[in-house]
Amino acid sequence: MTVAPAQQQGGGTGNLYDVLELVLDRGLVIDAFVRVSLVGIEILKIDVRVVVASVDTYLKFAEACNRLDLESGRNKSPGLPDVVGQVTESGAQAKTKGALSGAAQTVSDAFQQARDESQESGTRRRTAPRKKEERE
Amino acid sequence: MSTYVYGITRTPAPPLRDGLTGVGDPPRPVRVLQRDGLVAVVSDAPADLRPKRRELLAHQQVLAQVNAERVVLPMRFGSVSDDDSTVGEVLVERAEHFLERLDTLEGKVEYNIKASHDQEAVLHIVLAEQPELRAESEANRAAGGGSYEQKLALGEKVARAVKAREPVDAALLRRALEPLAAEVSEGPQSAGWLTNLSVLVEREAADELLAAVEELDTSAPQLELKVNGPLPPYSFVEKTDASADPAAGARTAPAAG
Repeated sequence: MTVAPAQQQGGGTGNLYDVLELVLDRGLVIDAFVRVSLVGIEILKIDVRVVVASVDTYLKFAEACNRLDLESGRNKSPGLPDVVGQVTESGAQAKTKGALSGAAQTVSDAFQQARDESQESGTRRRTAPRKKEERE
Repeated sequence: MSTYVYGITRTPAPPLRDGLTGVGDPPRPVRVLQRDGLVAVVSDAPADLRPKRRELLAHQQVLAQVNAERVVLPMRFGSVSDDDSTVGEVLVERAEHFLERLDTLEGKVEYNIKASHDQEAVLHIVLAEQPELRAESEANRAAGGGSYEQKLALGEKVARAVKAREPVDAALLRRALEPLAAEVSEGPQSAGWLTNLSVLVEREAADELLAAVEELDTSAPQLELKVNGPLPPYSFVEKTDASADPAAGARTAPAAG
């Protein structure tokens, strides 16, 4: 879980992306006020699944499944505390070095590729390694 | 000189950090306009204001500072009035409505929670839940990975199964947080998230909410959760029942297409 406190002072831009859609899409609208034209704003609305649904991605999924089974054994439940716990507690960087190295790398690549392709320049996203952070 | 409006709160005017600035380049000093028990947090509006990253951040940071002190009705980004006196007139004309909303939201803040799938964990779940997928995967493996067609067929099914998990896990998050929230609002959809949920909670209940998110984070390893807050109640400024301004809820993002 990542918690980003909102009342950061100074140039804390790290969490801006995550509330961008609220600032632009929600909030009070008063008809007596003019609204600045939002033409040109590039919100990241490209559906990542459109990109995921490609032949390339299917192949990577298939590859990942093969390796996943090899690594974790055929009868393991999804709970898999030894593997899953480790995965969720570490960032994407660490995942690739963990027990799931092969599969994780492949799947991460597939999703990362999808995400990269869905990104727009100018509005930086923080999708990639979402590390767990201690909240204060 | 036109006036940029950040948000509306009630008197007494909130203490603003010395030198607090808002939108514009150079950033315009933030000030307050008071009328009839209400306070508009404003600055001069730059003539060439555009929805740039820096401007959005300025809008959010001004509101975050006011919100840290007290309830505020955040304006949507880019609200510009002809001049200060027009802002004052709006405060007077709609005082009853604004005060009602401020009363409703008193002591509450918004938290926004976004969830995405941990890809490895969700693959484990999908394969564990669907024996036929697991069998197909194992058959492929036994055949040295399978043919191109076999891989493609398996990959497509797995991708579909992962996608089918999304509403299931979105509901899981909602069920976990709903009991703690005064209101819940589905945020706008955006890429990379399987759900985007805003909840309105008492300031004092924020720890409870964070604990619930953390618990879910542990119990549902397939979910990667990201929490933002406390935020001004962007998603809850309008009534959520049928009497609400239809534009507030139905509106989609300007660049959705």
